[in-house]
Amino acid sequence: MPGPRLIREYLAEMSEHLPAGIVEELADGLDQTHAHYVGQGLTPDAAAEAAVAEFGEPQVVVAAFLRASPARRAGRRLLATGPVAGLCWGAALIAGRAWTWPVPIAARVLSGAALVTVVGLLGAAAFGRHYRPVRRAGAAGCLGIAALDAAMLTAVTVAGPPLTWPVILAVTVSTARIAFTARTLRPVLTC
Amino acid sequence: MRGEELKGHLDALLLAALENGPRHGYAVMEALRQATGGRLDLPTGTIYPALRRLEDAGLITGSWSVVAGRRRRAYRLTAAGVRALSGKRSDWRDFAATVTAALEGRPCPGPA
Repeated sequence: MPGPRLIREYLAEMSEHLPAGIVEELADGLDQTHAHYVGQGLTPDAAAEAAVAEFGEPQVVVAAFLRASPARRAGRRLLATGPVAGLCWGAALIAGRAWTWPVPIAARVLSGAALVTVVGLLGAAAFGRHYRPVRRAGAAGCLGIAALDAAMLTAVTVAGPPLTWPVILAVTVSTARIAFTARTLRPVLTC
Repeated sequence: MRGEELKGHLDALLLAALENGPRHGYAVMEALRQATGGRLDLPTGTIYPALRRLEDAGLITGSWSVVAGRRRRAYRLTAAGVRALSGKRSDWRDFAATVTAALEGRPCPGPA
């Protein structure tokens, strides 16, 4: 990172919290702001001070990136819509008398544990305070919810229960959620 | 004019700053300063996450280029962004006319 020490320190602090691509973009902006102030006659150090002040406190900028994070938004949306999907599947399972299905106890426990883990990951993405962990939790949560939906769709296909309205609704909700996570995953991973 | 006062309007301002062609983050901030006579008091660093959010929403698209050995990310409006800007302009005119009428005791203009 070339440039005055103050700018290097500012960018180093950003690097601790934000991905390299974002820091690179900020570095370019800071560089241009610095050049602007040097062009106005300030010394390089004074220009660096003015540029850093103009950019804002690092924690303010990091917090703004966290609020705008695709992972945070994905986590909140999936958490908010989760109960709807849960109700749809609950209704479908009750209508299909799922308690009579020959599902091994280990599979039931694993499904429950997977659901709790995914909800935990989405919660961490939705309410976490640090950009990188929020991004990781968001990506894992998106993948997890898509896997759970895919597992339910597979189970329905294999079991072939009667096509009642609750089943059709649940399948539609899960398909929509898989499409949402597929579209969301790329920005979550790249931003 | 401080950041809190801009809440809800920043997206429209950023879209408007990109209306005449692609710009990178610093140029967007400069365009906003020039357009407002320097009355915007917004930390420049907070422009970048707002641009990323608009990109995520599909209203602008960003691309990298190399300028003087440094990678630079420029943004341009998408077709959805052009439509969103038009809608936000219309909403703002209605809002401004309504509030102005209320504050100055004038009759509120009818819907356009």
